[in-house]
Amino acid sequence: MTPAITAKAITARDAGFISCHFCSTLSKVPKGTNLKKSELICPCCKSTIHSRKPNSINRTWALLIAAIILYIPANTLPIMTFTLWGDGQPDTIISGVIHLMDGGMWPLALLIFVASIFIPVLKLIILMLLMISVQTKARWKPQDRTALYRVTEFVGRWSMVDVFVIGILVSLVQFGNSANVTPGLGSLSFAAVVILTMFAARAFDPRLIWDVLETETNVDNTANTKTALSNEDDKQMVKP
Amino acid sequence: MEQSNQTSVNISQIACHDCDLLQKVPQLRVGQTANCLRCNAFLFKNQKNSVDRSLAFAITGLILYIISNMFPLLSLRALGTTQDETLISTSISLFKADMPLLSIVVLFTTVIFPATTLLGTIFILIQVKRDTFNDYTAPLFRFLRSTDTWGMLEIFMLALLVAMVKLGDVAEVIFGTSLYAFCLLILSLTMLSHSLNPHDVWSKLRRDITQ
Repeated sequence: MTPAITAKAITARDAGFISCHFCSTLSKVPKGTNLKKSELICPCCKSTIHSRKPNSINRTWALLIAAIILYIPANTLPIMTFTLWGDGQPDTIISGVIHLMDGGMWPLALLIFVASIFIPVLKLIILMLLMISVQTKARWKPQDRTALYRVTEFVGRWSMVDVFVIGILVSLVQFGNSANVTPGLGSLSFAAVVILTMFAARAFDPRLIWDVLETETNVDNTANTKTALSNEDDKQMVKP
Repeated sequence: MEQSNQTSVNISQIACHDCDLLQKVPQLRVGQTANCLRCNAFLFKNQKNSVDRSLAFAITGLILYIISNMFPLLSLRALGTTQDETLISTSISLFKADMPLLSIVVLFTTVIFPATTLLGTIFILIQVKRDTFNDYTAPLFRFLRSTDTWGMLEIFMLALLVAMVKLGDVAEVIFGTSLYAFCLLILSLTMLSHSLNPHDVWSKLRRDITQ
C-alpha cells in the first residue's frame, strides 16, 4: 500500500505535542512553557514526559563505553570452573564454545556462539554506528536504521542464556570434592555487558534518526493498517 | 523545577514512538494491526477478546508459576547421589558460590519479575473488566510495561535445554515434576504477551481523564 503523496511529515514535536513514553498519550505543550526548565507530567499515567529522551546521546555513550570496557574481562576471565576429582578446568566463553565443538555438539556450540559472542558484539557495533550516524546527522536510510535499532532492542536479552546455563550448572553439579562447578568473575562481567547494552539500547532515542529529515517523506496522515491473513474475525464481529 | 499539569490531551492522533510522526488514530477492525506510516513501527492492534484472553492466560500462568516453583525442574544423578534444581535454587547456589550480584540478577529475571508480571497483569485486567480504576493502576501498569523485557523465563528455558544436553554425556539427567508445568508456563506467558494489548488499557485510563 503506497500512501498518498502530500506535503511534509509532521512530527508530534512540530505540532507542539509530546507523546508519553509509556502510554503514548499526546499532550499539548502549554504555550510559553520552557521545556528546558519545566517538567511536564503525563495526565494519563503521571510519568514525566519528554519530547525526546533527555541526554539520550550522552547516556547511551556512557553505557556503551562501560559495556565495551567490561567486555574485555568478560572474555578473558573464566566464566566457570569445572572441577572433576580435584582437577579444575577453567573455561572462558570462547574456550567453552571450542570444547563443545570438540565434543561434537555442533548445534549447541553454534547456539552459545550466537548468543554469547555474535549478538553482544553485533549489538555493540550497531549501537555505535547508530550513535555515530545520529551525531553526524546522516540521512542514510532512516527506515533501515530504525529497523536495526528494533532488532538490537529485541534480541539483546537472549545473550543472558549463557549466564543462566552457568547458574544451572552451578546448582546441579554439586558433588562435593569429586565434581563441582564454580562460577568465575567472567560470568559476572558478561552479565554486566548484557545488562548495560540493554540499558544503552533503551537510552537511545530512535526519533533522533528522524529529526534531521524534516521534509521529504510522503505522508497521508492515517496510520497504516494491516489486515490479518484470515478475515474470519471480521465476519464474527457483525453477527446479528 | 516547576511542575505543570495543565496539559490538554489529543486523542484523535497518535505519535509513533520510534519516529515521532503524528498520524490519525485509525479505526481498526478485529484482527488488524496499526503500523507507523513512515518507519513501520508497530503501534497497536485490535484483537478479539483481548482482555478476557489475557486474563485467562495470566491466571493459568500464575497457577503454573506456583507449581513450577514447588518441585525440581531437573535432577542430576551421579556418584550415587541426586542433585535437584529448582527455579530459586539457581540464585541460591550462585549466592553461596560468592556471586551475590549475579545471584540477584538471576533472582530478579527468573523469579521476581515473572511473578510481578503475572500478579500485576491479573490485578490490572480485573480493574479493566470492572471498569474501576484507582490511583495505583497507571503507575502499576507503567511498572509492568517497563519490567516486561526483564522477565526472562523463556531464556531460562533455553538455558535448561543447553544444560541438559551438556550434562547428558556426563551424568544421568532426570526431568523433574515441575519441568512440564514450566514448559506450559512459558507457553502461557508467550500467549499472554501476544494477547495483551496495552493500547486498550491505556485508552481506558485515558478516557477517565478526558471526561
